[in-house]
Amino acid sequence: MRKARLWGLLWMLFVPEIQAATKLFEEKCTLAEGQTLTVSCPTNTNMYSNSQKAWQRLKDNGEVQTLAITEGSSQVQKGKYFLEDIPSEGMLQVRMTNLQVEDSGLYRCVILGPSDPIILFYPVRLVVTKNSLGTPDSDEYPCQISVQNPTLPPVTTKLRPRPRPRPVTQLVPTSADRLSSPGLTVTPTNVTHITRAPGISIIIPAACGLLSKTLVFIGLFAVTQRSFAS
Amino acid sequence: MSRRCALLAWALLALLGLGAAQDCGPIVSRREWRALASKCSRRLRQPVRYVVVSHTAGSVCDTPASCLRQAQNVQHYHVRTLGWCDVGYNFLIGEDGLVYEGRGWNTIGAHSGPTWNPIAIGISFMGNYMDRAPPARALRAAQNLLACGAARGYLTPNYEVKGHRDVQQTLSPGDQLYDIIQQWPHYRSV
Repeated sequence: MRKARLWGLLWMLFVPEIQAATKLFEEKCTLAEGQTLTVSCPTNTNMYSNSQKAWQRLKDNGEVQTLAITEGSSQVQKGKYFLEDIPSEGMLQVRMTNLQVEDSGLYRCVILGPSDPIILFYPVRLVVTKNSLGTPDSDEYPCQISVQNPTLPPVTTKLRPRPRPRPVTQLVPTSADRLSSPGLTVTPTNVTHITRAPGISIIIPAACGLLSKTLVFIGLFAVTQRSFAS
Repeated sequence: MSRRCALLAWALLALLGLGAAQDCGPIVSRREWRALASKCSRRLRQPVRYVVVSHTAGSVCDTPASCLRQAQNVQHYHVRTLGWCDVGYNFLIGEDGLVYEGRGWNTIGAHSGPTWNPIAIGISFMGNYMDRAPPARALRAAQNLLACGAARGYLTPNYEVKGHRDVQQTLSPGDQLYDIIQQWPHYRSV
């Protein structure tokens, strides 16, 4: 009876932890009104140097709105949208200036072709807030921020531990590893940090890992109690 | 019976502990390969999202002694001839199956141009891999290094591996090595 219970507990060790799917991953960027969104989408020096690239918005109703296209030229400015295609470096730089709350939504860099567009980098979930944001934390790529509004008071960059989406079995990085000097093009003021993964893909593996390890420890405790008692 | 149960339980606990720690494998430190002191100061923003794999296109080495000399040679060329602050790569991989510490995880390297250097870790296989492939132990060393980097938070969990020719106009990392890294799980062509 005791043995059966122990073996039942040990099976929990082999509960596989669900790996977060990277394909449906969204890069989350939170910025304040007036700021500029910068996104770097890797293209490939060899494959797509001749292809058209575009910056698109994905509406809630599934509609895809193309905001700017590189029409054979390397730089395109269309209103607040700026695209720079650098095939020799294999990179497409996108900038959206003077962000407004209405700009919040889902965007993506694509290569346009005869069939379905090829999605570069990851879809970008942009959130534009009305007020100036809290602690600045500009250690993210490529959601770089450049402050356009000169009335924002300068605030020194503060470091704070970010929630990290990783399975619990792995070593937790020390905060010293994530010390970053202020960016090259960025004056970091009043911008929140950026989370990487949707919350649900952090919660499930973390909960599974925690659950299995808790059960193992309870089992071990019970076993050692009994061995001391008998 | 209860003693055996306890023994089994503690064995499993030990296994669990081992599973949690990520072995980074042996990395030959700068001091060990007698590197010149670095004069580089630009720090990489952590965690890094990209890894660029290149080859030195230079001499090959297959023993710890010869690879140590080759690492020095590469640094010598970069620092003395090209005038850089240090060897350009963040890490070098030898055919001896060892990883040689270059600029490391924290310092911006000089391997893939101004767009990619600030956002990528550059690892370079010592040798020319157009017509031949690196041995399995060298590939293992590189993959262990990257897995360790991800576990320690130097790389993002979903870091992407690129070939040098994907981000610069170059033949590096050589046809054979490029074919191999395209099969790596973290490789992404765009």
